[in-house]
Amino acid sequence: MGRYVLRRLLQAIPVFIGTTFLIYLMVWGLPGNPFAGRCGQRPCPDAYIQRMTEKYHLNENIISQYFWYMSHLVRGDFGETFTGVSVNSLLAQAFPVTLRLAIVAIAFEALIGIVAGVVTGLRKGRFIDNLVLVSTLFLIAIPTFVTGALLQWVLGVEWGIIKPTVSSEARWSELIVPGFVLASVTMAFVTRLTRVSVVENRRADYVRTAVAKGLTESRVTGVHLLRNSLIPAVTQLGLDLGGLMAGAIVTEGIFNIRGIGGMLFMAINRQDSALVVSIVALLVLVYLVVNLIVDVLYAVLDPRIRYE
Amino acid sequence: MSDTMSDAQARQLPHATSTGAAIVVDAAKSDRPRSLGSDAWRELRRRPLFIVSLVLILLFTLMAAFPQLFTSVDPTYADLNRNLQPPKWENWFKFGVDGQFGYDILGRDVYARTIYGARASIIVGLTTVLGTTILGGLVGVIAGYFGGWLDSLLSRFADIFLGVPLVLGSLLILSTFASRAHDNPSAVKIASLVIIALVALGWPVFARIMRSSVISTKELDYVAAARALGARPSRIIFRHVLPNALAPLIVVATISIGSYIGAEATLSFLGVGLQDPVVSWGVMISGGITYRNVAPHLMLFPGTFLTIAVLSFVMLGDAVRDALDPRLR
Amino acid sequence: MTDLLVAGEPASQPAGAPNAHLLEVEDLRVEFRTLDGVAKVINGVSLHLDAGETLAVLGESGSGKSVTAQAIMGILDSPPAFITGGAIRFKGNDLLKMSREERRLVRGEGVAMIFQDALSALNPVFTVGFQIAELFRKRRGMSRADGMRRAAELLDRVRIPNAKGRVKAYPHEFSGGMRQRVMIAMALALDPEVLIADEPTTALDVTVQAQIMELLAELRRERNMGLILITHDLGVVADVADRISVMYAGRIVEEAGVYDLYRKPSHPYTLALLNSIPRLDLKGQRLNTIKGLPPNLLRIPPGCPFHPRCSMAQEICQRELPPLRELSGGRTSACHFAEELNRE
Repeated sequence: MGRYVLRRLLQAIPVFIGTTFLIYLMVWGLPGNPFAGRCGQRPCPDAYIQRMTEKYHLNENIISQYFWYMSHLVRGDFGETFTGVSVNSLLAQAFPVTLRLAIVAIAFEALIGIVAGVVTGLRKGRFIDNLVLVSTLFLIAIPTFVTGALLQWVLGVEWGIIKPTVSSEARWSELIVPGFVLASVTMAFVTRLTRVSVVENRRADYVRTAVAKGLTESRVTGVHLLRNSLIPAVTQLGLDLGGLMAGAIVTEGIFNIRGIGGMLFMAINRQDSALVVSIVALLVLVYLVVNLIVDVLYAVLDPRIRYE
Repeated sequence: MSDTMSDAQARQLPHATSTGAAIVVDAAKSDRPRSLGSDAWRELRRRPLFIVSLVLILLFTLMAAFPQLFTSVDPTYADLNRNLQPPKWENWFKFGVDGQFGYDILGRDVYARTIYGARASIIVGLTTVLGTTILGGLVGVIAGYFGGWLDSLLSRFADIFLGVPLVLGSLLILSTFASRAHDNPSAVKIASLVIIALVALGWPVFARIMRSSVISTKELDYVAAARALGARPSRIIFRHVLPNALAPLIVVATISIGSYIGAEATLSFLGVGLQDPVVSWGVMISGGITYRNVAPHLMLFPGTFLTIAVLSFVMLGDAVRDALDPRLR
Repeated sequence: MTDLLVAGEPASQPAGAPNAHLLEVEDLRVEFRTLDGVAKVINGVSLHLDAGETLAVLGESGSGKSVTAQAIMGILDSPPAFITGGAIRFKGNDLLKMSREERRLVRGEGVAMIFQDALSALNPVFTVGFQIAELFRKRRGMSRADGMRRAAELLDRVRIPNAKGRVKAYPHEFSGGMRQRVMIAMALALDPEVLIADEPTTALDVTVQAQIMELLAELRRERNMGLILITHDLGVVADVADRISVMYAGRIVEEAGVYDLYRKPSHPYTLALLNSIPRLDLKGQRLNTIKGLPPNLLRIPPGCPFHPRCSMAQEICQRELPPLRELSGGRTSACHFAEELNRE
């Protein structure tokens, strides 16, 4: 088990370096004046150019630039925007909001996705199965920004059930509808994943063995079948946590939530490159850490993995 | 006795299995010939979802290729006198008139724009999938077939691109390149950028599928035999590996067309994809969201078309997968 | 028909109750309703078993032997499988007429079963100790710790080395033979009166096969269980079975004591099966195989289902389905020419 975790960790390091380098390259490494169009509509302030060049060695080649950038990053310094605000303080405000939104979304995914998946898996081919399957198709097909805009308009404007935009505190109760919107597509995937898994495992030999042991139906389904069927769904839920934070950009934009996504959206529009790189690096880091946790979780859930 | 018996058993086992195999082969011969492909096709024709999605996709393709067949109205003609007017229901199913879906903020005909908007979505969706399939397929075949350090290298490389979420990464790519282009970039240029961005981030998914198909096919006895007989890699790949890997690739590609169409619209919505005056569903929806309180039709009609288009591709992929994977029937 | 079957069997039957066998299957019929049509998988199978007795059910794959076992256990997948007739009596009570709950209580305690592929038949995500102890906990109301202790005792009984340490291991951590022992231990947990072993050694090495068969025979003696051995392999059962029932196309075509059956088969199918066993003394000769294929169960040929493959087939065989008849010596056969075969 320890060796398995260590191996996964070692595999994640080059991916992290590669991905962040790729992003760094895309933002800073293109030929031409690095500060052209880097500070919004106006040219960059000289003081900022000087500070950045000194700190990140922007006059050297791209590899050493990246090296200096990372050396600051691993010490927890995400740099500063061209207006001189520390990125760390911005992230400290925005990150908890996005995390909360992602948690609400994951809760929807787990609750609705798994329950619907198990129910349809056990009733394969019946009316409820077809109903849920068609619903998941629609959830997958409607782009998030359409779902979000529609729900905001119907629930917020027409019916007045919710406030159309989320306040700056971003309380849990305000995040229910945005969380649902964020989860809509992945929820459908978790439903289908769980369903397929239940359908496959239902005919598995070990389920037949459990019946032959004279266990009650609820024990056969609730313990033997579910424990195996939920492994892929739980893994998927973990992976989604990282993806949902990145995907929050659309949802946060629509509901005016002041999270990472909203901030990134603004940073891109204002062409504040330092902020963009830092946010994306953070999101990639979260994504990789969550991936690692999921791998470990997977090994805990499925004992066969540990010995592969 | 027990010794001779266990010896007899030992000999009988392989014998039993070989008759088993013979049974399968003979049964296939004596019955009418059935391959996975023809089986899948028979299964597909029975499915209403498959037929419906296929018809819809043909309809959208026709719309993209010859929008004039569906409307004779100029989608860019603006008449401010009729701006934000609601749909004229009485004009539905009449050719040559406008106003079926109402008018947008500049008084342009929403119906004509929705029809013309299919082109951008279909082109971006199809081209992106073509690109990801070719690039990802190629990398997957190389990694899977040759294995070893090349496989490790290519797989880690794919992981790096997988680490960047699709919308986030393409947002970054598009904003970087768009900010570089000081002149007003043409629609073709932006569309190509969108496609390049989506291909750059989408290929690892296809590479992974291809790689695992290749690896599992490589292990098959008859392929190992072909290799032992000295068949060239290209021959093995084209004769044995590709036909086996095609099924999962087709399924993922079909579903991906739908998700790339959605991604293109999302990028337009975020303001980095196609922009007005280009006619596209994404552009129309993001433009319409602002006015949804007074004129919801601006968002609803292109939104419905977009959803149905994505839905058709996802349904088609689903139907093909179900037909190819009999276990889940 | 049952009376006929009773006549020629070993004297292990309880006196005074000539018809109350421990387990009795009578005229069982099962069909599979598939998209391609209705496959008649079991067409009137009758079997019986007494305490301490070993019955082998022999047949090619698709002959219906495993389906019979699953029908007895009540673990047929339905759909597609449906029991359309017959009775399965355990100690005189028809299992098919019981409520779900009564039926459940028979499983494991009255009739237990071990499966061919222990790796897929054991749940991969639970330790073997958990899976055995589960029976003690859920069926006997024992505590978790007591259940685990009993599980370790059982593993020790089936001669798994270091049983105490191995209860915490997962199925994939055992070798094939050891895994089958775990299955046997699990089946024995509730002291069943009948044990059904469905091809228990097919997936194993030859040396391990013999050990497992020995273990089963020993446990059968020790506990005076009735044992049904399902197999396609005549060699496996020769040493341990008392009687053999041969199945073909969902029917029993011959039943006899193991010695009689080997010495003088009275159905051409049995004869063909015996001839297809490779023999050391006939080394170098061409192996006899049964020509043709088992019938498609969607379209069982009229008359005797074996006639297209039978070397002795006559015109009557294409027309008339031969019933299972009693022959001299208390054996039965479903062949029009059973007497002639027996005389040869």
